[in-house]
Amino acid sequence: MTSSSQSSSHKSDSSVGRRTFLKGAAVAGATGSISTQAAGDTPGKEVHGETPTGAAPPSAVQMSREASSAEELAQAEQVAVGVGPDQAGSFGSDFMVDVMKSLDLEYVFSNPGSSFLGIHESITVYANNEKPEFITCMHEESAAAMCNGYYKAALKPAAMMCHGTVGLQHAAMNIYNAWCDRAPMIAILGNHADAHARLGATTWRHSAQDPAAMVRDFTKWDDQPHSLQAFANSFVRGWKIAMTPPMEPVVIVADAELQLMEVEDRTSLQIPKYTPSEPPQGERGAVREAAQMLVAADNPVIIADRAARTPNGMTLLTELAELLNAPVIDIASRQNIATSHYLNHTRRSGQLIGQADVILGLEVTDFWGQVNFVNRESMISYPRTKDTVKLITIDVNDLYLKSNYQDFQRYAPVDLSISGDAEATLPALIEEVEAATSRSRRRALAEREDGMRKIHRSLYEESRRLAAQGWNSSPVSTGRMCMELYDKIKDEDWALVSVGASERFISTWPHRLWNFDEHYRYLGIGAGGGVGYGLPAAVGAAIANKKLGRFSVNIQCDGDFMYANGALWTAAHHRVPLLTVMHNNRAYARETMLVQGTANRRKRGVDKANIGTVIQDPNIDYAKLAEGMGVWSAGPIEDPDDLGPALAEAVRVVKSGYPALVDVVTQMR
Amino acid sequence: MKMKSLLMICVAALAWPTLASAQDGDAQRGQDTYMRVGCYQCHGTDGQGNDAGPMLTPDTLPAEAIANFIRFSPGRMPVYPEEILSDAEISDIVAFLEAVPPPPDADSIDLLQNLEPDS
Repeated sequence: MTSSSQSSSHKSDSSVGRRTFLKGAAVAGATGSISTQAAGDTPGKEVHGETPTGAAPPSAVQMSREASSAEELAQAEQVAVGVGPDQAGSFGSDFMVDVMKSLDLEYVFSNPGSSFLGIHESITVYANNEKPEFITCMHEESAAAMCNGYYKAALKPAAMMCHGTVGLQHAAMNIYNAWCDRAPMIAILGNHADAHARLGATTWRHSAQDPAAMVRDFTKWDDQPHSLQAFANSFVRGWKIAMTPPMEPVVIVADAELQLMEVEDRTSLQIPKYTPSEPPQGERGAVREAAQMLVAADNPVIIADRAARTPNGMTLLTELAELLNAPVIDIASRQNIATSHYLNHTRRSGQLIGQADVILGLEVTDFWGQVNFVNRESMISYPRTKDTVKLITIDVNDLYLKSNYQDFQRYAPVDLSISGDAEATLPALIEEVEAATSRSRRRALAEREDGMRKIHRSLYEESRRLAAQGWNSSPVSTGRMCMELYDKIKDEDWALVSVGASERFISTWPHRLWNFDEHYRYLGIGAGGGVGYGLPAAVGAAIANKKLGRFSVNIQCDGDFMYANGALWTAAHHRVPLLTVMHNNRAYARETMLVQGTANRRKRGVDKANIGTVIQDPNIDYAKLAEGMGVWSAGPIEDPDDLGPALAEAVRVVKSGYPALVDVVTQMR
Repeated sequence: MKMKSLLMICVAALAWPTLASAQDGDAQRGQDTYMRVGCYQCHGTDGQGNDAGPMLTPDTLPAEAIANFIRFSPGRMPVYPEEILSDAEISDIVAFLEAVPPPPDADSIDLLQNLEPDS
């Protein structure tokens, strides 16, 4: 994996292009900040305050006043951030990109900015925009969500890049979503650490002493390296930390001067070897005890949330469930067990938890919330379990925590708590279950199968019956919308890459009636509940799926869409095949219900509950909006009979390699 | 607390002599009220239900049962006191629900067949 000799081969091929990119600096070459390489100087150390004439260099504002054309203004801006004329050779940011290449980083999601233009240029010109490829985003929040979605489809990190100040302020919410989602990503922050190197007022505003501080509460690690060698070490270390469970975002600050400095001796810089950490496994004795409890139980129940990090996790969990013939409640922040599997009993979770004598929670973030109920009005909580139930958890929840943001959820008292990655622990647990199961017990466990199959079938039949309710309603029922959609994609190698912040917003119809038989068929939700996740996360996932030959589908809530609809342009620009189906209920539906409930409890009526919670007057035409960004679209569709033909055409467009959007006017949920 | 709420509903059911029956209600007025006070948000515009609230059609419950739930909901559903929703308006809503045509049977819908539920 180590590469320390890539830069020279790229350099010679791209020198002309680089000069073209940098030509703007020529206009102010006599007065601008010039990277010097005089003998005895620190390589790349820029000299400010001195010019050949001894006069102070002009600020960006001064230069912009003097610039007589847009081109000159652009040139002046380049000088203001330290790009000198006629530069050639190897640069700090070239080396930074070499580091990214060594990790097989495929994409950098970004909106351009001056504090990281060195890396930008090195990606697009020096590296010819291949590994990593610069994906043009219209908002840093979208860039962060794209990283989140990309990881869950590709199962490896992407990077986003932004200003360490204003860009990161935009990006913060979706970095938080990724944090709550245990999704690794690398946030590269541009910054001008050396105040003496800041030329213009904007450069000052785009600088910070400690840029990562803003997101430190919800990132796993950050560093602000002060040399290129330190950058390499930190980037590889950050990648490793991000990919070790609990997987989380990390931040690397890329100093603007480091990016722009010339590198005289590239061979003096080394890219350290990346060796993935083996994920932590639960202690064997505790795993044995858990196995014995599960085997002895009459009504064991497995609750899985992010248990299956990879397809193998899904295989292992299924094997464990089958050994025990234990029903599984799949919270499905990742797809843990196939919906068609006879032990997937998610639809009767309340009943299962109430009857269980042993409950095993695998990577469940809110385990307390699974086994307890809180009355919204009285705020009094009740256990949903029997008094005699034994609770077991296997997760990494206690291995890495931060105090400020409360996504660690309420403390869950349990009988056996095993710290370890669930997927990494499952092989040992399976072995111990097999060892603890006598021949007679094996027969007894096997006898559960027929009953489990019958119940699974009845749950499915119930869902089918319910889906028929409101089948011909207008606005279109979410059941009808989801089944019309499934009919058009079920013969593709499909993946439902996003449903926004909750699948309950569409009454969980996909998980009731679609066959999620592969890990990649479902990528979970925007885990932090931050609005503006759905579309950009879907685009990020679809970029990964494009290479993997999968058909990406996004069911998109309207309120969420309006936060980050620029991601549609990104999809069009980069030819991302993605089918987006708008769940256009013209409201922030959940909030409408909550405000109405509050008004009712206060006996003030519901007439004003729609204020601030509906998206009407005017209704938004999402099809027109998509068309304006170069995306094929249809709708708004209010007659359910019009939906099938529109979706069929949209699927054809997506299969030809382009994004498409179908706007469906829907019931609230 | 749960028991207390259920008890309240039972007591109220016995002490509900004034509620007009669904036959006295006006279905069109009921639909207007149903939409105005937000029933459709959790129960769908045709009472078909969704993940937030159970289906109310077809097989609509007796007017008294619906009225009791509206007045004394023990669960997630917000309580509608008489100041917000009168007895007459509840009768209208029930009339509307009873007038909603039944949905097609799931077995008659092609898109709900052959979904391979078991493996």
